[in-house]
Amino acid sequence: MRALTLHLRILIAVLVTLGIAITAYQIVVLGIPVTEDETDDLWNIDAKVEFVANPKDPVKIQMFVPPLARDYISLNESFISNNYGVSVNRIDGNRKVTWSARRATGKQTLYYRLVLTKRYSGEKPKVKGPVFRDSIAIEGPEKIAAEALLAPIRQHSADVETFITEAIKRVNTFSDDNVKLLLAGDTSTQNKARVTELLLSIAHVPVEKVHTIRLVADQPQTPELWMRSFNGKEWLYFNPDNGEQGLPSDRLLWWTGDENLITVEGGKKATVNFSLNNSEMNAIRLAKLTDANTDADFLEYSLYGLPLQTQQTFMIMVMIPIGVLVILILRNLIGLQTLGTFTPVLIALAFRETQLGFGIALFTVITALGLSLRSYLEHLKLQMLPRLSVVLTFVVVLIAAISLFSHKLGLERGLSVALFPMVILTMTIERLSITWEERGSGHAMKVAVGTLFAASLAHIIMSVPELTYFVFTFPAVLLILVGFMLAMGRYRGYRLTELMRFKAFLKEEDAARENAK
Amino acid sequence: MIGWWKTWKALEARGIMGINRRNADYVLKYNKRSLYPVVDDKIITKERAIRAGIHVPEMYGIISTEKEIGRLDEIIGGRSDFVIKPAQGAGGDGILVIADRFEDRFRTISGRIISHEEIEHQVSSILTGLYSLGGHRDRALIEYRVTPDQIFKSISYEGVPDIRIIVLMGYPVMAMLRLPTRQSGGKANLHQGAIGVGVDLATGVTLKGTWLNRIINKHPDTTNAVDGVQLPNWDGFMQLAAQCYELCGLGYIGVDMVLDQDKGPLILELNARPGLNIQIANDCGLTHRAQAVEERLQRLALNGEQDTPQQRVKFVQELFGHVPGA
Repeated sequence: MRALTLHLRILIAVLVTLGIAITAYQIVVLGIPVTEDETDDLWNIDAKVEFVANPKDPVKIQMFVPPLARDYISLNESFISNNYGVSVNRIDGNRKVTWSARRATGKQTLYYRLVLTKRYSGEKPKVKGPVFRDSIAIEGPEKIAAEALLAPIRQHSADVETFITEAIKRVNTFSDDNVKLLLAGDTSTQNKARVTELLLSIAHVPVEKVHTIRLVADQPQTPELWMRSFNGKEWLYFNPDNGEQGLPSDRLLWWTGDENLITVEGGKKATVNFSLNNSEMNAIRLAKLTDANTDADFLEYSLYGLPLQTQQTFMIMVMIPIGVLVILILRNLIGLQTLGTFTPVLIALAFRETQLGFGIALFTVITALGLSLRSYLEHLKLQMLPRLSVVLTFVVVLIAAISLFSHKLGLERGLSVALFPMVILTMTIERLSITWEERGSGHAMKVAVGTLFAASLAHIIMSVPELTYFVFTFPAVLLILVGFMLAMGRYRGYRLTELMRFKAFLKEEDAARENAK
Repeated sequence: MIGWWKTWKALEARGIMGINRRNADYVLKYNKRSLYPVVDDKIITKERAIRAGIHVPEMYGIISTEKEIGRLDEIIGGRSDFVIKPAQGAGGDGILVIADRFEDRFRTISGRIISHEEIEHQVSSILTGLYSLGGHRDRALIEYRVTPDQIFKSISYEGVPDIRIIVLMGYPVMAMLRLPTRQSGGKANLHQGAIGVGVDLATGVTLKGTWLNRIINKHPDTTNAVDGVQLPNWDGFMQLAAQCYELCGLGYIGVDMVLDQDKGPLILELNARPGLNIQIANDCGLTHRAQAVEERLQRLALNGEQDTPQQRVKFVQELFGHVPGA
């Protein structure tokens, strides 16, 4: 006996420790959020391409789309186009979509939609870039002006980074005659970037034009030009207007290089409009959505790795032990009497669909009607199985009638009654009626109310969203639960109702004390 | 909350056994699952008892299939009183006691006249498992109707009073006389409204009673005092109960016995999960008594000895008997 107790203690200790350890590991090491409220931004970007197609010519539109190599992950990407063939290919780190059609006339509209989010895990893939480039050949006064500009830049800089910053600053000093000459009166960002690139190429510093979109909701957008250079380890981004270094975190790299966003063959007046909006989403759900693209390996082995449909089922399933625990406490600690052991849990599950108040009402109505039928059948002296079958069929008909009636009345809630477990209702009716006959109506009512109470409590606890999330995300909690259940298995204290039941002893004692006085 | 805690402590001090303790420390510990059929099936209990030479009500016949229901008349023969029981019934449910014949019909113990068809329907219900634990198919048992000894006439309302003794490893630890009331419909089960009356283990004199969890002194139907009644042949009951351990092998049982006016003490059935209200009837907790028996067993085990049923009865009568005020 002692050995068994020790065995049990060790088992409980192991289970609880394991449960706590796994959960702590998930929370502390993997950083899985403890509550569902921690959300991430989800961006929805629409690029609307409009152009007028030339009649008779085949149409071919090429547009850059984000390469999504680094900071962002695409959750969904779609190319919406009628009668166009679509292909996407990668060229030099860019991605390009090609829409093509043999024949199109009039105004054409194509959509590109991208749903993306920040990369969930911190690890980023390695990047590569050029560290040397040949000079762009220039002649005459431009050459002299460029070299005149480069000399002070070299003086004021220590490394590639400061060199580029300095160069951009120089190019933005419009009062400088050399700059004036090189810009030739055009102070657009495009041109400044071109001149900067030219200057840097003479110093063999490679730079690239980068076109970005700003992730701001509900604002018209045009691609914003940035420059970047590779320092051997990572890309450094520069603002061509002021030489500031570093790409703000809300910029999404769309494409790099000198080419235009869109090229159209067989059409004209091509325009691209960007519209963005964002929404928030549960961090874990998001991580799971991006499963294919992330390094979130831990999710592979969690319940989030299951298909969405199955996940929903499991969300209910993992709560069943919680419901069972409620029944266990109600029965063994409190001493509440219920019909059957797990019937209340099954009824609680049915309440999920019907909502609590309505569920209790339906349950009461069906059980009451079923009981009256059962008591009528009692007179017919039927055998058990046929009688049960009749009650079951009656319950089905009753449920159908309630559904139809409430539908006609416009009460959609009534339709949820169809999900009530009929067999459970039938068995409840049967057992209740036997209890009624043999232990009297009082006891039957007590048991019925106890069952409903247990079911309601189980339902309320099982449908706490925070709890559902927690158990679903940290299933190791169930091990702790098992530990508690094992401990309950050897609980030998009184039940709460027993304190009432055995009150007679105490009254006696009190009376005896009174008499002694 | 504090009131509850006080109650808890007081009950614990008196050694009152709760359901959880009964299950964990006694039922689960001493009763082997595999032996349950011996007590759950009254037919097996009866057969074992007969083999062991323990007195039981005579068995007239068994019906185990629907086809055999036709044999009912043959089994009953010319008898005018008999009892039909489900072999695996629980809590006295499904028992039909026929006391007399009335023209073509039968009269039950409560005076209801029922037809032959109704009896057949009852047997059929029993066979389908309506009254059995877990709803399994069952057998119907037709047996001798016990006629209670005249001694109970004044303190009993209809039905058959029976004597329940809790037996731990062959040691009777507590006894109770169960008296049917009008409310219990002639049944001797406490939860159906029967009265439980404590019995002194040594003398067989009744103590106070319990009815619906309350302590009482009088029978609610006859208003006669239930305490101070000397039960006849008490040592016979004690011996019978003590022997039941050898009969079934279960360590913690409730033995239900009756006193037939012709045949003396008879074993009716055994119960592997005896109720706890016997404590109220005896105004005494089971835990201390059970622990005393366990101590005794340990001491005997150290010496490699074992008590005979006679020694066991003597032991408990000395230790637990002669309750003051009895």
